[in-house]
Amino acid sequence: MSKLLKVFLFASFVFAPFAASAVTVASWGGAYTESQQKAYADTYSDPSSIVFENYNGGLGEVRAQVESGSVTWDLVDVLPGDAITGCDEGLFEDISSEIASMGVPGPDGESIAEDMENNGLEYHSGWDCCVPQIFWTYVVFYDPDAFPGEKPDSMADFFDVEKFPGKRGIHTWATGIVEKAMVADGVEPNAVPTVLEKQTGALDRAFEKLDTIKDHVVFWSSGSKPLELVKSGEVVMAIAYNGRVGAANLAEGENFEYIWEGQVLDQEYLCLTTGAPNRDAALDFMMHASSPTSQALQAKYITYGPMRASGIPIIVEGEPWGPGGVDIMPHMPNTPERLKVSIVSDPQWWSDNGAEINERYAAWMGN
Amino acid sequence: MPIGDMLLRSVDDSQINTVFPNTFEEYKKWDKEKDELPPEEVYKALFQELAYGDKIQVGRALTRMNYSKSGWKSLIKKTSRAIKKVVKKEEFPDSYKEFLIETNEKWADPTYWYAMGQMINNQTSIYYWNAIDRTFDQELNVVQQDEDRRVYVQTWLKTLKVSIYVTVFCLILGFPVAHLLANLPLRYSNLLMIFVLLPFWTSLLVRTTAWIVMLQQKGVINGVLVWLGILNDDGRIAMVYNETGTLIAMTQILLPFMILPLYSVMRVIPKSHMRAAQNLGAKPAMAFWRVYLPQTIPGMSAGGLLVFVLAIGYFITPELVGGKDGKLIGSWIAYHLKTTLNWGLTAALGAILLGFMLIFYWLYNKIVGIDNIKLG
Repeated sequence: MSKLLKVFLFASFVFAPFAASAVTVASWGGAYTESQQKAYADTYSDPSSIVFENYNGGLGEVRAQVESGSVTWDLVDVLPGDAITGCDEGLFEDISSEIASMGVPGPDGESIAEDMENNGLEYHSGWDCCVPQIFWTYVVFYDPDAFPGEKPDSMADFFDVEKFPGKRGIHTWATGIVEKAMVADGVEPNAVPTVLEKQTGALDRAFEKLDTIKDHVVFWSSGSKPLELVKSGEVVMAIAYNGRVGAANLAEGENFEYIWEGQVLDQEYLCLTTGAPNRDAALDFMMHASSPTSQALQAKYITYGPMRASGIPIIVEGEPWGPGGVDIMPHMPNTPERLKVSIVSDPQWWSDNGAEINERYAAWMGN
Repeated sequence: MPIGDMLLRSVDDSQINTVFPNTFEEYKKWDKEKDELPPEEVYKALFQELAYGDKIQVGRALTRMNYSKSGWKSLIKKTSRAIKKVVKKEEFPDSYKEFLIETNEKWADPTYWYAMGQMINNQTSIYYWNAIDRTFDQELNVVQQDEDRRVYVQTWLKTLKVSIYVTVFCLILGFPVAHLLANLPLRYSNLLMIFVLLPFWTSLLVRTTAWIVMLQQKGVINGVLVWLGILNDDGRIAMVYNETGTLIAMTQILLPFMILPLYSVMRVIPKSHMRAAQNLGAKPAMAFWRVYLPQTIPGMSAGGLLVFVLAIGYFITPELVGGKDGKLIGSWIAYHLKTTLNWGLTAALGAILLGFMLIFYWLYNKIVGIDNIKLG
């Protein structure tokens, strides 16, 4: 072994423990983490104490860290289903009393939970361990140039390949698509979660509707793909994460149109890992990141909506809120009139049935 | 060690048995022929174990229970909340069975109780059966999974098919290249070697994306073909987001693993062997077949085994270029590891994959002999 290598190895052993004193936040990377960095970390009292690390979602790594007792992620940015499972399994620490006492209240003194309820959300066990972040949605978008005549504007149009010929881009897992198929089949968007939960055979109905476009589908599995597919003309419409479409419109000069009807709103949470090495500092940062001001600020950098209702007036009053003097509300998924034609995905139902439906969806794709 | 841990996990069901020991004990006494629903004692034991059990241990058990039947999670959580209220007020019901059914009608649904039967022992084989689209019925007989959920057998077959094709294509493409490299003068072959190694050093994602640009319907290859008039504009070939795309991209990405061992074996085959064979009267083709080819077998075996082993566990490239055909078994392992947290099934899938490898290794040893493998 060369001398230099020895010195290097030695140094990495000696200095590694000191480097770990910052709060580590595992998040999804890309433009999303950048917006968190700007809205949450840069505005924090000690920005350099927050370090973001990329991961690909899911609780696999968190469970491995907690089970082996070597936790390196203090905070994890997760989907609601994972917030629920993580909290139930004790992978995330129950901090309900801390959230109640330390959480930044809204302008009328609303607690974090009340503020979320004002936004139409229902309590689930994820709320005990996690603080809210943003609403993001599965939305259909298209390039208006692809439709010189009439333009599609509903889920029924997305599923109508005779009226609007051309391929559709959809993702390789079932969340979001099942709900959209129900809307195309005539179910009121707001009623979709209830119908899926209560009505026997509702799922069969969704899959029958999916059959009608099956031969006209290009499947994608990573978030940047649907934009490439629509840009290159490979498909005429695609389901995408609305933040990606917003970024293309605002920052890259694209002119994509959204079909807000049948958009599927999903939630995003920041949770405290059990046994986090910098627990107290992480807790303090959580409260900062979930304040109405921080949530509104994030909309400046990515078109995802605040999960706390009191974040929205801050944006509305601050318009033009977007980059370069652009109004941001036209790109926000959770405006009142858009919520009327939206589905708020039910994380409890998905965490009950997700595995089975995804297997069925995969079988449907493969046959 | 990690392999042993994986094998253990694939049959282990002990966690849930520490959470509901009494319930399972009583459950075993239930005569399914006689009574449609389990007896009062089962309901009572469950009530107590939910009332006084450790919240986190119950939470972990819930994740497990939901694999046996979707819906367990919210059923138990709702029931637990109702039970906690009762315990707080100390108003214990006369009949626990009636109380639970009143709380949630699903407690009168025997299918939940049948599903519980899968979990009542410390060891289980259910994960292996799940990994090949089988499950247990109420009598714990192995039966086929619901028709619309059968995905694993077809995925196994697809994974094997893709791996074998990729290995064969790599061999067909790699052999001439390696031969050329081995027989050119050093200064040319070094230059060509860089063309083999450069993509090898390039990021996997970059190469995969490059293939998408080349192959898509509005992509380079289709564009050139249309421009040349070989294809109609509506007749563009779908070469990506399907199995063709997977095969093309995987073959290109794994090709160096075939070329390099072949090259290092071919380089040391003395050129005089071929000349000697031809001197003794063999035609070039015959000399190649009888003298040269047999000497490259160690290289072909090493390359073949390397490519096959890598291909069978591949999942990022197929997911990106494979579209609906892109889910190979590696994708499912990653999915269950990260998303459903069904580590039992993850481990069973992994163990079966390991089993496949051992079978192939054994076959290889029988046919070619393991001493005959050579990387250089």
